[in-house]
Amino acid sequence: MIAFLLLLITAVFAGLLLHGLHRKVIARIQSRPGPPVWQEILHTLKFSFKQTWIPRTASQVMYVAIVLIAVGIWVAALWVVWTGASLLILFALYMLHKIIEHGTGLSSGSPYTKFGAIRSVMSAAAELPLLATVAIVYLFWGTLSIGEIAALQIETHTPTILVAFPAAVSLYLIILSKAHYGPFSVIEAKELVSGYWTEHFGGWRALLNIAMGLKTVVLLSAFVLLFIGAVPWWLMIILMVVLMVSVSFICAATPMLTPYQVVTVQTIWTVIVVLYAAVVWLVLYAGGIII
Amino acid sequence: MFEQILLTLPFGDIVHYLSGYTVVLFAFAAMFVILAVISLPEKPVDIVFGTDGYYTKEIPVDLMKFQRFMAIACGIATIGAITTGDVFNFTLFAAFIGILNIGIVAAVKNKHVLDAAFSYGLVVMMATVPLFAGAAIIAATCGTLSIWELAGTGPAPLVARLLILVGVLGEGMAPFYIGKAEITRAPGAPYILMIHVSSLLLFLRVVEILLTV
Repeated sequence: MIAFLLLLITAVFAGLLLHGLHRKVIARIQSRPGPPVWQEILHTLKFSFKQTWIPRTASQVMYVAIVLIAVGIWVAALWVVWTGASLLILFALYMLHKIIEHGTGLSSGSPYTKFGAIRSVMSAAAELPLLATVAIVYLFWGTLSIGEIAALQIETHTPTILVAFPAAVSLYLIILSKAHYGPFSVIEAKELVSGYWTEHFGGWRALLNIAMGLKTVVLLSAFVLLFIGAVPWWLMIILMVVLMVSVSFICAATPMLTPYQVVTVQTIWTVIVVLYAAVVWLVLYAGGIII
Repeated sequence: MFEQILLTLPFGDIVHYLSGYTVVLFAFAAMFVILAVISLPEKPVDIVFGTDGYYTKEIPVDLMKFQRFMAIACGIATIGAITTGDVFNFTLFAAFIGILNIGIVAAVKNKHVLDAAFSYGLVVMMATVPLFAGAAIIAATCGTLSIWELAGTGPAPLVARLLILVGVLGEGMAPFYIGKAEITRAPGAPYILMIHVSSLLLFLRVVEILLTV
């Protein structure tokens, strides 16, 4: 338990640093100096000591509870990745994050946050590629245990990314769709101020920042474990940074899509990856070939 | 069984159970039922277009009570869908959730919300056809609807599993969810949120069922 607490604290700071790196890379590509990479840590500390209250228009219990649930979900997700437990539980926790976006947006009573929440519901098509990814990984390895999948790739010298590249692209798109300032970030677009979390300020924002930092660490580490394997910790950090920088490049070079375009892209990719999953099933199981 | 079983409650050949996976879903559903019970709705702020003005709306008490009742019923139906060990009961709970989702916004006096609820209702009713057809095919081919027994008798027909999946998607997931996005414009955050919670949890449960049977 103490080891997990230490990991949790490290993951929070690592996640906030990755967000800082994300902002720095975007700024440098756009020929701006950008904030220092530790800016998100400073933001979170600053928000922690700001005056904090609940807006009079908010559904008060929901407004507070949703923040605590956000932290709870991503702490649980970190636990799942750390223990190498079921990929299905990680998938469920990721899906439940949708409720966080929706609940955060609806609970304040603000029209800006509500639009963010409604956009979050509309972009639900992002979850189906994730399910297809889970299915494809299961078809290849015959297990949903993250620990076993990571170990099997090292044992057989077969990273999943080489044999199931479209599945890796799917998870990468999920990471991209959850990145700040990205082409799919319609739920926190600037025309909605900060979107679904506009009205969560002070300590609430600090807690949400912590949850988002954990989310980034969980998604990036899950990508490495599922598609590259159980690598040493230093290589894990390098790969997570490389993934984050690549996401930042896309975010810096791509304009934000409209909600309609977001849903269209997600739906097209869903169809492609579901067809790919069907082909994998036919080849591996109907054809009787197992790695 | 696909995941580690934590608790079983047998009723004849039907064994209700909680696994490591469904216990996460159960906890989440229970949490949102409690939130629906103890939370008061927000006061939605509307902008007066063309000016800097805005106004807040109070949700009438009778509307709040009706929405709260429907949301709690929807939450309980969701818990039923999560914990049941019977495919037919699952499909019943799924259809029930679809109806209750409409019920949560049925008393809202807003044309756009009601139009969206009507469209969503049509999709939900059509989705019950593949949902129950899938369960019927499983019963006809396997001789049981008990998930517990189906887990040990080999896979159910693929067409039945696909029909159940399509039915659950029709209850509010992509690509049939678009009407649902509009009905969440209705006021009453703790109750409206249950619409989304129930659909997501239903989808997560059906994934487990389809991998098990």
